[in-house]
Parts: sequence; C-alpha cells; structure tokens
Amino acid sequence: MGELRQIAIYGKGGIGKSTTTQNLTAGLTEHGKKVMVVGCDPKADSTRLLLGGLAQKTVLDTIREEGEDVSLDRIMKEGFGGTRCVESGGPEPGVGCAGRGIITSISMLENLGAYTDDLDFVFYDVLGDVVCGGFAMPIREGKAKEIYIVASGEMMALYAANNISKGIAKYARTGGVRLGGIICNSRNVDRELDLLRAFSKELGTKLLYFVPRDNVVQHAEIHKQTVIQYKPECNQANEYRNLAQAVIENTEFTIPTPMTQERLEEILMEYGMMDLADDYKI
Amino acid sequence: MSTIIQEAKFTCALGAQQSVLGIPGAVPVIHAGPGCSQRQFSYLSVGSGYQGEGYTGGGQIPCTNSSQSEVVFGGEKKLAKLLDATYKVMKGDLYVVLSGCTAGIVGDDVKQVTYDHSTKEHPTVGVDTSGFRGNNYKGHNIVIEGIIDQLLEEAQPNVRKGLVNVFSVVPFQDPYWRGDLEEIKRILEGLGLEVNILFGYGSKGVSEWYDIPNAELNIVLSPWVGLGAAKLCERRFGTPYLHNPVLPVGLKDTSAFLRKVAETLSLDREKTEDFIKSEERRYKQYFVSMGDVLSDYAPYLPYDLYLIDDSAYGLGTARFCTNELGMIPQAFFDIDVPPATAKELIQASLEEIDEAWKDKLIDEPDNAIIRKAVEQRIAIRQTKSLIFGSSWDKDLAERTDNILIFHSAPITDNVILNKTYVGYNGGLNLMQDIYSGVFNRKKVSNLTHGETERERNTYGTAKTGGSN
Repeated sequence: MGELRQIAIYGKGGIGKSTTTQNLTAGLTEHGKKVMVVGCDPKADSTRLLLGGLAQKTVLDTIREEGEDVSLDRIMKEGFGGTRCVESGGPEPGVGCAGRGIITSISMLENLGAYTDDLDFVFYDVLGDVVCGGFAMPIREGKAKEIYIVASGEMMALYAANNISKGIAKYARTGGVRLGGIICNSRNVDRELDLLRAFSKELGTKLLYFVPRDNVVQHAEIHKQTVIQYKPECNQANEYRNLAQAVIENTEFTIPTPMTQERLEEILMEYGMMDLADDYKI
Repeated sequence: MSTIIQEAKFTCALGAQQSVLGIPGAVPVIHAGPGCSQRQFSYLSVGSGYQGEGYTGGGQIPCTNSSQSEVVFGGEKKLAKLLDATYKVMKGDLYVVLSGCTAGIVGDDVKQVTYDHSTKEHPTVGVDTSGFRGNNYKGHNIVIEGIIDQLLEEAQPNVRKGLVNVFSVVPFQDPYWRGDLEEIKRILEGLGLEVNILFGYGSKGVSEWYDIPNAELNIVLSPWVGLGAAKLCERRFGTPYLHNPVLPVGLKDTSAFLRKVAETLSLDREKTEDFIKSEERRYKQYFVSMGDVLSDYAPYLPYDLYLIDDSAYGLGTARFCTNELGMIPQAFFDIDVPPATAKELIQASLEEIDEAWKDKLIDEPDNAIIRKAVEQRIAIRQTKSLIFGSSWDKDLAERTDNILIFHSAPITDNVILNKTYVGYNGGLNLMQDIYSGVFNRKKVSNLTHGETERERNTYGTAKTGGSN
C-alpha cells in the first residue's frame, strides 16, 4: 500500500463528474485499491451508483438533526467493492452557506478518523461551478493534492475547465495542489479528441483519458450501478478499468497555465469544427 | 472604502443598534456573532462620554450569537426563536432586528423573519446592517428608512398642521445627541410647531414614529444623514421636506434656519420674529459679557481653526467659528465618508461664509493621518489654534499647546449628560468651552502667537521665578 492520494474531481455542472468518479472508483477497487468517495455537492448524488441508490444520510443532515457528536458509521456507508461513501450535503436551497458546509463536513470526517491508513485514494466530487471559497476547500487547504478536470469538446465545458484551472493555479503556490490531467467524457462532438489534446497542451497538462460515449453508462445509472457492476464484460467497463489504470500510473502533475478567452476561442476555431460545408444538413 | 484605517471615529453599520436604543421604548435585537453588539456598545456608549446602557442596551441586548451552525444552515430559525423569547422577557413598543456580517453573507432574510413575527402587540422590523455595508452613519440611515418602510407600510397620512419630523444627528455617534435634540426641539417649538424629534428623552417614543406620516414637513438637519428617510416619506406619504445641510450652531445660522422653516410652512411672521428676537437678545447679552475676556486676553486666544468632525457637526461648527468668532479656516477633516453630493454641499456652504475655506475640506476617516497633518500645519503656522476633535487628539493638543474641544466620538475624557453644541444654547456652550480652554489647559505657557518657548526664555519677557 502506497501513500494516500487525495483527488478532487472538478468540471462543468452536468458534465458527468459523479458518473465518471464512481465508475473510476469501481475500476480502482478491481485493482485492489481502498477508496473513499466524498461527495461535495448539496445535491448529494455523488455516491448513488456505488451505494445502489440515494441511501446515504448526508453529514450536514446528520449534524443538523443530531448535533456534532455522532459516530463515523452514521455518516459513512460501504458501497460497491468496499468503497467508503460519504455525502457532505448542504443546507436547504436558498439558505445558509453550502461552501462553509463542505468545510464543516471535511473537518468532521477528519475529527472522526475517517482518513485511515489503509486508504489508497480519497475522491472529492465537487459541484460543477466553484462559486465561492468553500467549494475550493478540498484544494485550498491542501486536502486534495491532485486534481482531474472532467470535460468534453463542448465550449462551455472547456470554458469551465479553464476557469477551474485559474483556481488551481492560485492555490498551487500555497496549497501544493497540482493538475493531474483532463478526463474527457465524450459528447461525440466534432474532432473531440484533437480538441481536448490541444486544449490540455495549452493548459500545461495532458489528456489523461478519453472516455467514449456509450449508452450502457445511462443504463447502468438507471439501475443505480456502476458500469463495472452492471455489465462487467462490456467494452465501457474496460474503458473505466483503463481510466483507473491511467490514474494509478499517472506521475505528471503540473501547475496549469490557464488561457485567455481569446486563446480558448482560437483553439475552438482551429479544432472544434468539421468542415461546415460537409456537415450542413437540413 | 476598503483601506485600513487607524483610530477610527465610527463603527460599522451594526452600530445603528444604538440608534434603536435612542428611540424610547424600542428594543434592538441583534442577529450576529458573539461580541459584535458588545463592541458597538463599548465604542458608541462608553466611548461616547459614558452614556450607560439605558433601557435594553449594552449587555441586555438580545442576540442570536450566531455560530457555525447558523452559517451552514442559515440562521433564520434561530432568529425566529430569539424573537419569540425576546417578546416574553423584554417589554417593547417596537423591536428592530439588525443583522451583522455573517447573516448578511449567508443571506439570511431578516426582513422575512420579522414580517412573519410582527404583530400589533409586538411590532417588529428587520434591517440588514451587515458591517461590510458601511459605517454606522449608513447604518443609521438603513435603520430609520427600514422602520418607516416596514412599520408604516400601511399607514395613510392624515396631515396635522404645524407638525414636523426632524432627522438630524446620529444618536450616540454624536456624543451630545441628547442635548442637541432637546435644543432643536426647543427652538422649533418656539416657532409654535409640534415636533416629532424621534430620538432621545424629549421624544414620546415609538408613537412619534407612527405619527411620521401626519407631519406637514420633514426637516433634515445634516448634509446627508436622514435625507433618504425624508425622500422616502415624500414618496410614501407625500410629505415635503426641508433639507438644511447646516446643523445650526450659534446666533446667525440658528436664526436663519428658523426663518427658513417659518417661510416653508408659511408661519406667522410676527410670531416667528418675536421668538427669534427674544432668543437673540438673550444670546447677545451673554456674548457681550464675554467682551472683557476677548479684549484682555486677545494675544492668547486661538485664531486658527481645525475640525476633525463628521459632516453635520463639522459644517455647523465650522460656519459658527468663522462667521461668529472670526477664526481662520485651516482644515476641516470630514470623517464620516459622505457621498459625493454631500461633499459638494458642504464645500459650497463653507465657502459661502468665507472663501478661505476653499480646498480646506478634506475627506479623511483615518485619525492618525489627520493628527499628523494638523500637527504639521500648526508647526508651520505657529499660531494659536482651536482643534475640534476627540480623545484621540488629546496628545496633539497638549504637545502643540493648543485648545481641544471634545466634539466627536470617541470621548473618554468627559462624562456627557445634557450638553449641546447646537442651536443658540450650543453656540453659548461652545464659546464658554473654547475660551475656558485658554485657562484650563494642562500646561498654560502664556506664549502669544508665533512665539516659541526658546524665544521667550531668551528675551526673558515672561520668565519669572527661579528655575527648577
């Protein structure tokens, strides 16, 4: 067992962070790794596939109802492949401060001894748009030293990834956080692989893995399972195993070099479109 | 304003809890972290001439003492619980919830909570006085506008002839607010008016606030504080307002103010002049009695004038000192961070009296910077000076051997009860204190203008007795 790797997954809202994280986690468990997943999203759906449903009471709900004197098993459940699952949760929509809630949750996990020595990986699945300091908590205080950004070839996904990189660059100087790469969750847009490679290069990182689009992911989601659990023999299950392998083997961690809006648009113009004349159909 | 300042002369918007305490029968309820309210009390009551807790002030103020749980989940429920408990143990005619920074950042909707709680028996209003919104002058505006907006939401005006509301000094931030408001009320009543003074011992309390829509006129006595409330009343109740930026001090400005009010309300001219004449006669008799001091001690009297004051107090006093006492304007450091429009008003009003005021109005809230500037100016001028300041400036006055009038918060060298520096009586009080200063200084050097200690010793004109 090596040193604990704490990884935060960021990316535009709806890009598939939670799906990717949980499928990746399933892949890691097949490699014999001990993994904890901490959902840092008030929606509390970061561990649904691992737990077979929204079976988890969130840390903040527990604190709200029972106070801070709770045992670890009240807030942590075991999911697929022995993963440990925690949902930070959040206040009711429209009140309170969810960012501060995440800070509270992570501090509580630490106090309750959730970070045991046998863990190989901890994943923080953070909500899409890092709107305030609280959501940067996993990287801000050096909890997660490794970041992966989930993106696709869509412009807004890349725009968000670039913005997130600004946050990483900011905290890299003090918190020691580094970008491990971009994970593409394919949306089948034009020249997506080339675009993501070029974008990653410009950002001073690499495209860690290209996860192709496959409907089996949605089927597995409907069944509240990861792909590896739902159809272990299918091609997409192998893709996630390979993604897990790529994460395990990754040794390239960089401080990202976010680009200007103009430069981002240039890259999109260069790679992001097929020949319009061929593609234009009514 | 986001710079760091030393020796602040105000607090944050939450300091308006003291404005609520200034309304007889009103109870402030604080939705903030532990300590916020206490610090406001320390600065604005203890530090403003030891004014005491009063009814439900100081350590008695109900507070949610918000902590982590209120930040994460929002503090509205705790505030609701606090309000229910407050109604049980604190009798009040009006409850005003003031929220602090954490509630403001988290986005607690205090207005909604108070709206749900407010009843006829326990009228309650809520305002967002998060400290980051500005200083307590701004907070005072937020509170008075909040009360008018919410308490009088459904009020319909039933105008009573001769009734006026007065929006003027900020309670407690103006250490002499109690005396000042009594004097303002006195002179307006002298014109035959009925006065809702709204704050202080001369106010009937919350019933005066309910009476606000019925006024014939709103009077704003300040360059900017209270102006928003008057405009709100104009929109809501159609009440016209008279904006007199000059808080009147002494004979000339007070009489001018009264004439302006009388003219606006078309009061009986003869009756108005009778009152003004009787006030002026009394004032002048006192003034004349000071003639001997002015002539006998002329070389020792202060000529140069420095003010470290807020817009309202500073402007009125600056005009009085130049217009009636003939002092030479050196600088008016305006400390309350007024809006740009108010600055223009103040500058114009000063220059109307004496063009020497040109470029002498300085917008500076940092008292340490101010003190340094005053000291440098005094060193260059070598002229006996009068400084209007606070306890921050005591050392400056002693070092430079000049007269200091404790005029603005913080004042920890005097216990202040019923004293005013406003109106006719305020002018007399000021003259009394200014010229007493010639004799009452800690160190009385008997040096005349421009003369240094060294020169005096060299020429031996004043050196008496043996050395020790």
